[in-house]
Amino acid sequence: MKRRVGGLETEFGLVCVRADGSRALEPEAAARELFRPVVAMGRSSNVFLGNAARLYLDVGSHPEYATAECDDWWELVAQDRAGERIFAELTAQANERLAADGQDARIHLLKNNVDSAGNAFGSHENFLVDRRGEFTRLPRYLLPFLVTRQIITGAGGVVRPQQPVGAGPAAAAPAAAADAAPEPAQFVFSRRSDHMWEAVSSATTRTRPIINTRDEPHGDPTRFRRLHVIVGDSTMSEVSTHLRFATTDLVLRAIESGRALPELSLHDDISAIRAVARDLSGSAPIPLSHGGTTTAIEVQQRWLDHVTPLADESEQQVLETWQKGIDAVRTGDRSWAATHLDWAIKERLFQQVTERRGIELGDPAIERLDLAYHDIDPAHGIFHTLQRRGLAPATLPEERIEAARTTAPTTTRAHLRGQVVTTATQHGVDHVVDWTTMRLTRPGSMPVQVLDPFTTALPAVDDLLAQIRDLGTESGPGPAPAPFA
Amino acid sequence: MSQQSLNAPGNGPEESGDDSEIVTGGQTFASAQAADDLLDEIDSVLESNAETFVRSFVQKGGQ
Repeated sequence: MKRRVGGLETEFGLVCVRADGSRALEPEAAARELFRPVVAMGRSSNVFLGNAARLYLDVGSHPEYATAECDDWWELVAQDRAGERIFAELTAQANERLAADGQDARIHLLKNNVDSAGNAFGSHENFLVDRRGEFTRLPRYLLPFLVTRQIITGAGGVVRPQQPVGAGPAAAAPAAAADAAPEPAQFVFSRRSDHMWEAVSSATTRTRPIINTRDEPHGDPTRFRRLHVIVGDSTMSEVSTHLRFATTDLVLRAIESGRALPELSLHDDISAIRAVARDLSGSAPIPLSHGGTTTAIEVQQRWLDHVTPLADESEQQVLETWQKGIDAVRTGDRSWAATHLDWAIKERLFQQVTERRGIELGDPAIERLDLAYHDIDPAHGIFHTLQRRGLAPATLPEERIEAARTTAPTTTRAHLRGQVVTTATQHGVDHVVDWTTMRLTRPGSMPVQVLDPFTTALPAVDDLLAQIRDLGTESGPGPAPAPFA
Repeated sequence: MSQQSLNAPGNGPEESGDDSEIVTGGQTFASAQAADDLLDEIDSVLESNAETFVRSFVQKGGQ
């Protein structure tokens, strides 16, 4: 499809520590404290906001933010950033309450993907695809792209010897091969690669796949289905997050075009994804399924070259940035990447800090630094520190991120949901919404269902808005307040 | 929200992000100083019980 709807779900890590670093609250208790204002507002820890996003508490006490439907990938980045801001605000408020209560306890929210025991959590990309397309044919082309895109959009990190690798068939962990000498700690493009166990499946937590097949179209099931990509790292850099969506969208468009495609099926996607993570040259041979080999750089370059004729004027910048990312790996010249892409920003930072402190990459200080990089606290998070110094990208204007805290994307169904939630909240009218349906919680109120995610105006929604205003306890709408501010 | 901000988020990093790459005269000094300041700031995070903090961050897995 030329116009495609997408959304990003981010699970945050949560830790609550005393000043000495020891654990002050269990994750469940910390999450309860964090969500106090959410429950007060929505009587639930699962709410839709005025910007049409969903904010909730997920499995394992992970705070989660799912952006509204976007059809523009910079808008998606703005909505994702807005979610960080909203959770950072909730965290600050929770910490003020804990301090006022005299507790030696501080909550940190980490937009990362793995805790110190090797438990993993995710950053899930959703893409709307046409039901008529052959979904079974899609992975064959998409997987080689997804396995290798970490050389551009990986969050970077360090894998350590003997580090537990969480869920999944532990015996198959690559670092645990019986006779092999333990790997030294090493920098990798993506730590999430070690938490992938299958190429395509319906599982989510135990044997995590690269592509999840849970069929939740959140729209007309006869027309649409959802492509759920769960291999991605949580990215702090707006450039990295944008590239994850913009490049994958272009590849999907090429697959949907029905034209001949690069035949790059890999012999073993899971072995490959772990090898690619560890090969910072991007040039180690990867076995193909029909014999011969390729490399991570070659797969990315072949796809970039293939989609170039399909890109429109507004996408030229995507092609250029993608090429710069490939070149940073190919040439080893990190001068652009080290201030734009998460993995390269971290690579430089870790190098500087290990040199300065005379420590190895496997030192706990580096793991602490990695966590601090993903800390969403705007005052103390290291990514934000780098951003203020011009060492990490700040591509989106500040006003646009602020606007996204209260304003839904205007070019998708999210516009309707955002209006209903905002208006109902302003007028104090109880309501229930989900991705497709909106209704008032009163007897006889009819639900309004919107099954086309591209719909931005609907008479039934206008009627619902009028009904809310009639029922409302306030005379008119004031400015929309930021959630929980 | 202007059309411009919808489609062209601007070139923030190009304009402001590459100071550390400039290796001419006073810029080199300024950027070395900036790097030291940054590392000082990072030291303050790392020196407060880095290892204990890391061990405290254990949570059930998500998806």
